[in-house]
Amino acid sequence: MAGRNESAAGWIGSESQVSRLRGTVFKATCLGATLLALVLMLVFLLYVVNDALQPRTADVGWLATYGVTIGLPALALAGYYYRRDTRAGEVAYTSLGLPIAATVLAGGITILFRHLISPQEWFALVVACAVAIGIIELHGTVHSAGVIDRLAVVTVVPLLAVVGIPGISVDHTFNTLFLEQELFRIAFSTPELAPSLREVILSSPVLPTDPHALLLAFTVPVAGAGSLYVRRVRESDRDAALVGVGAVLAAGSGLVLAPLAGLSSTAWIVLATVVAVPVGLYVELVVRRGDGVSGLAFPVVVGLGALLGTVAVGAAGFAGPDTWLTWEFLNNPHSRTPRDAGIYPALVGSVLMLVVVAVAAFPVGVGAAIYLEEYAPNQGRLGTIVELIEINIANLAGVPSVVYGVLGLALFVRTVGMRTGIVLVGGLTIGLLILPIVIVSAQEAIRAVPDSLREASYGMGATKWQTTRNVVLPRAIPGIMTGTILAFGRAIGETAPLLMIGAAAVVRLPPESFMGKFSAMPRQIFTWSTEIEYEFRYGVLAAGVLTLLVVLLMMNASAIVVRNKYQRES
Amino acid sequence: MAQTPSNDRTFVSRRRFVQTSGVAGALAMAGCLSDDGESDDGGNGDDDGNGDDSGNGDDSGNGDNGGNGDDDGSETLSGEVVNTGSSTVFPVTDAMAERFMEEHPEVNVTVDSTGSGGGFENHFCPGDSDINGASRPIKDEEMSNCQDNGVEPIEMHIAGDALTMAVSPENDWVDCMTFDEMAQIWQEDGAETWADVNSDWPDEEFTLYGPDTTSGTFDWFTENVVGEAGNHRTDYEPTEDDNIIIRGIADDPYAIGYFGYAYYAENEDKVKALSVKESEDDACGEPSLQAASEGTYPMARPLFIYPSEDALQREEVYEFLKFYLENSSADWIADDVGYVPSNQDMVDENMSALEDAR
Repeated sequence: MAGRNESAAGWIGSESQVSRLRGTVFKATCLGATLLALVLMLVFLLYVVNDALQPRTADVGWLATYGVTIGLPALALAGYYYRRDTRAGEVAYTSLGLPIAATVLAGGITILFRHLISPQEWFALVVACAVAIGIIELHGTVHSAGVIDRLAVVTVVPLLAVVGIPGISVDHTFNTLFLEQELFRIAFSTPELAPSLREVILSSPVLPTDPHALLLAFTVPVAGAGSLYVRRVRESDRDAALVGVGAVLAAGSGLVLAPLAGLSSTAWIVLATVVAVPVGLYVELVVRRGDGVSGLAFPVVVGLGALLGTVAVGAAGFAGPDTWLTWEFLNNPHSRTPRDAGIYPALVGSVLMLVVVAVAAFPVGVGAAIYLEEYAPNQGRLGTIVELIEINIANLAGVPSVVYGVLGLALFVRTVGMRTGIVLVGGLTIGLLILPIVIVSAQEAIRAVPDSLREASYGMGATKWQTTRNVVLPRAIPGIMTGTILAFGRAIGETAPLLMIGAAAVVRLPPESFMGKFSAMPRQIFTWSTEIEYEFRYGVLAAGVLTLLVVLLMMNASAIVVRNKYQRES
Repeated sequence: MAQTPSNDRTFVSRRRFVQTSGVAGALAMAGCLSDDGESDDGGNGDDDGNGDDSGNGDDSGNGDNGGNGDDDGSETLSGEVVNTGSSTVFPVTDAMAERFMEEHPEVNVTVDSTGSGGGFENHFCPGDSDINGASRPIKDEEMSNCQDNGVEPIEMHIAGDALTMAVSPENDWVDCMTFDEMAQIWQEDGAETWADVNSDWPDEEFTLYGPDTTSGTFDWFTENVVGEAGNHRTDYEPTEDDNIIIRGIADDPYAIGYFGYAYYAENEDKVKALSVKESEDDACGEPSLQAASEGTYPMARPLFIYPSEDALQREEVYEFLKFYLENSSADWIADDVGYVPSNQDMVDENMSALEDAR
């Protein structure tokens, strides 16, 4: 008896010791892997930042001055938040990050207004859309019963407003099969049958100037959305009106004040609309909540510190660092002289390409995901086929990007006959590349909507379409948006497909339309990596990488913000 | 319901309508402008036969340019000029594009670096690019491929390069090599160790770095130094990026590799360039632009651009080429880019080729 007891005790004891050791080793290994990954990434990032900004070329006094005016107060405040008021710490980093992110977004919007659609064209488009929506709404209230004429109004009115009835032009040569002998040729064209409302507005003799058009067609809708939001959360018409009018006034003051500040009126209006409105709303939210208000001091302290530092550095005559990432870098095209080289045309190219990617991949991807999750059969033989398709979509997400490049070249250039290296071809090719990612992430988001909600909806007599539209999609949209933005982040960094579709190494004029030749940021960075001169490969390239990384981080951060916000709400 | 598809169709046709009318407009414009262009031609006449050897000292060539550049300053030129081709020619064309666009900010001159052969095969012969750069003359099969597609390339010899064979600075046993020794190193089933080539050299294996097989540099080297096109060993480190060759050679005392002179000029402190001689009896020639233009450096090679005849009927392509050729004798080609500029004879010959094709 005693012997058996002893052996049992010994067995348990030794096992517990061994398993403890194993567990410790395993934990240490995991920690090591994490640290290795993080340290490697950190070292790489520091390396790039150092190359791009070259902080060591600055005077010691310059670094010390900014250290005292920005670094110390910021550290002291951060310490205070960490020990006393963590909620304020959260407010502090949001209120510092929000204006920066909004400024980057404003830069992107300015690029669109400068190169893609002029403020006047935008004005015409917005007015035409507003009229179309108004007519549809009016029709809905006056005559809501007729299904057929409702459908006709919903399709025809927007079409007439935006596109019009274009002329018909046919120029086609009919060939015999295989032998390619010419049979006969049809060629005729008619003038435009009916101009769109948009074109009518554009051709009218009295058009608002660019800043006024922007104020009316861009600021007013954004301010309206802001005031609607305030009215919903505060349930006060007065506050809502205050926010709306305030935003319009802030932007409108640019017409007078912008020249004094050395800015163009359009830039002021875009900045005021995109930066001031969300920042104002956020500040209002924090103050109303009355929680962590002291966090709002953080951006003010940093801003004042920067101002003070600039004055002090100017007075003492300290030289700043010889950085590569400058305002000129963001505004210049590539040059043979490293100091004059910049990324602007590639930046514009990336933004326009992203517009094509978004327009091409988002509706198709989300549509496919909705069909696969909500409508596709999941039982029987058809169900097996659907499952096979889903597996293949997931596999497509892992196909190397260069393969998509070849596909884009073969499909859009060689088959459809578009020119090589234009924005449309690049955007469509990369749209194809991220399509599987968009589909899979949208499927996940739709699948995450609990079935009980659908069943409740059916139980109340709703149709499948009503359930999808009113129950499933509103719940799934945050998840879909998060996945899509992350996919766009992948899209903006892709290089190999651009090489395949012939995006040129150097393009010095930004594309003015989707049919223009373009270069994107990663393509331009690749060009710099093969330049002969040392400064291109270390300085200019690092500045380009940093620009691309900042854009990417902003996109990922906004994806995270969207996700967190909706997670908290639900 | 029936309206949607029909509208889709007309939308596509409308785009085609815009395209066709745009093309027609551009053609009409080109037709009008081409008359002006021809009346300018008188200004291109050369003044003196600057046929002396020193390509760098061609100051009179620069004088010409100023005069011609002013002719068309008043009219605003727009459009697109698409350049592809050799990565060796890329720096010259890119510099030309930058300078040309300072005068004509509306013309979008794009430059891509695809390799000589890659440019002909994938961009130029299919008609996607206007001008292709090449660091070797066009091959017969490329010529016929282009002509099958209705693209007629016009050869223009615009600059020269001194192909440079380089070793590590730690290499103290060799300063000068003959073509025969280089052929032994680089041909198929070539020597394995330095001692295999010359018994005075150390008994250590080579580390070999060279350009990719798609590169014109590779073609020129096998044809002219090894002596047989395409005869090149495969157990070397091939790359399109010459910076990698430099880095490889700098790090390894037993390494050897070759690349264009411009890369050597930028990295003179990192690698040691070898002098070369064609045969045992010749004098050793040190690589330099001066020697390449005088003909005393045996591995001097020509660089070309090939505009297509159709493309240069377009005003912007014609003006860009005129600018290119006039400036191809300028000093900055040597100072900024690191190639041998054209001499006046070459400029004149290219100019007359350009005018003949119009």
